[in-house]
Amino acid sequence: MTQVIAVVAIVVALASYLTWMAGRLDRLAVRVEAAASALDAQLIRRAAIAVELAGSEYPNLQAAAYLAFDEAATGNDRSAVESELSRALRAAPEVAAVDEMAVAARKVMLARQFHNDAVRDLLALRRRWVVRLLHLYGRAGPPAYVEFDAGEAGG
Amino acid sequence: MRIGLACPYTWDVPGGVQVHVRDLAETLLRLGHEVSVITPVDDEDTLPSYAVSAGKAMSVPYNGSVTRILMGPVSAARVRRWVREGEFDVVHAHEPTAPSVSLLACMMASGPLVATYHTSNPRSRILTALQGALQPSLEKVWANIAVSEAARRTIVEHLGVDAVLIPNGVNVAAFKDAEPLPELASPAPTIAFVGRIDEPRKGLAVLLEALPLIVAAIPDARVLVAGPGDIEAVTETLTPVGRKHVKLLGLISNEDKARFFRTADVYVAPNTGQESFGIVLLEAMAARTPVVASDIDAFSRVLEDGTAGRLFANENPGSLAAVLIEVLGSQAERTRLSELGWNAVQQYDWATVAAEIVQVYETVTQDAPA
Repeated sequence: MTQVIAVVAIVVALASYLTWMAGRLDRLAVRVEAAASALDAQLIRRAAIAVELAGSEYPNLQAAAYLAFDEAATGNDRSAVESELSRALRAAPEVAAVDEMAVAARKVMLARQFHNDAVRDLLALRRRWVVRLLHLYGRAGPPAYVEFDAGEAGG
Repeated sequence: MRIGLACPYTWDVPGGVQVHVRDLAETLLRLGHEVSVITPVDDEDTLPSYAVSAGKAMSVPYNGSVTRILMGPVSAARVRRWVREGEFDVVHAHEPTAPSVSLLACMMASGPLVATYHTSNPRSRILTALQGALQPSLEKVWANIAVSEAARRTIVEHLGVDAVLIPNGVNVAAFKDAEPLPELASPAPTIAFVGRIDEPRKGLAVLLEALPLIVAAIPDARVLVAGPGDIEAVTETLTPVGRKHVKLLGLISNEDKARFFRTADVYVAPNTGQESFGIVLLEAMAARTPVVASDIDAFSRVLEDGTAGRLFANENPGSLAAVLIEVLGSQAERTRLSELGWNAVQQYDWATVAAEIVQVYETVTQDAPA
């Protein structure tokens, strides 16, 4: 009898632990997704403001901003065009110094960092042996860091 | 935006984190946000209208001083209710590694969660040991903020989390127009010290050792000491020179602190280490009082490597005396330092700092107006 109780207790404990673990993974996946969409929104915003402020006076900046804006819609790898936009902004310090632009650039940096922090936390949890052994993350692929030149703090 | 701030330490006990949370809350309210603070408190009558009590904290000795903690079913229930009924757009927990309200808020929160780390603690074995236990709560945080490079380094090393740097704020307006304290007014060259008088790392001993050298050059110099601690015990250790030139005032109120700085000709911060930031330096700068500080990391940063105030070699009374004699002996130098300090402190004004924090809120909530 005591053996049965012991076995039941162990099974219950194990099941609760795994459920809790799966809950953590779920929550982190939500956080990564929210951070990714926040980053997306900030990038589009930065490109939109850059297009508006560049005008015809800064053709390079305008071209880079349009490119970033278009690329956002396709969902391709954007690191190259976003880095290019950061460089174009650095080459046009008068535009980068405009309050609205500086805030948008700073939020891009924040959003990228928060996204990558979330990715790091999720990857750390996915590396646990229990999680790997039992495939607790289901069919979700591993999250990826987003790396691009986000420029200097502009605010 | 609806913002919930969690403060881990007892509201009506003086402390840097409490002041930070209060100033942040009041600045956010002025900017038109809705703010609720949850905090431990001893006397609920001291709570402002925007704050709610999480209960009374317990005192436990930790890391050489006394920390007050608050964990338990009752406070957990209160924090849970606060999170649920607050319907916050963002919850902002301060010092979430302290075993108190902020950690509970991290456990209960389910949406956008921001955390600010205040402490620098280069060799915290406790933090490293607890890392595993804290991880499930800390991984719920969407955005980490550190108030200083030292605080950032501490969490990177111990918790494996990174943070954006947003400095402490100071309420510049409250300091700049304060009137000197008439009962302390004197034409004698006056040095101000602020901090616990019996805590060695605050460095009062360094200043007292420098005193004979200072008095030899400036016979009527005096030192005003504001800060809690056993006045009798410290008085007994004073030399005859010390007794003649040092006045121990005990703890002064926050309101009087601004006036206290305005009473002095120079503020000195001889702290020997373990400072994360140096908020008191900023307060003195906001009061336009020239600052002389030890060249520890945190102070060198705030004083911009000695351009916004004067630095002396840490734990070196001779170096301190030389700098103080020069500053007290020259009105021109004091005017120059006061101007430089005033210019440097502007970037730490709460209006600027709170705007940066709001940018973090907007980034995590994606609520992004221009």
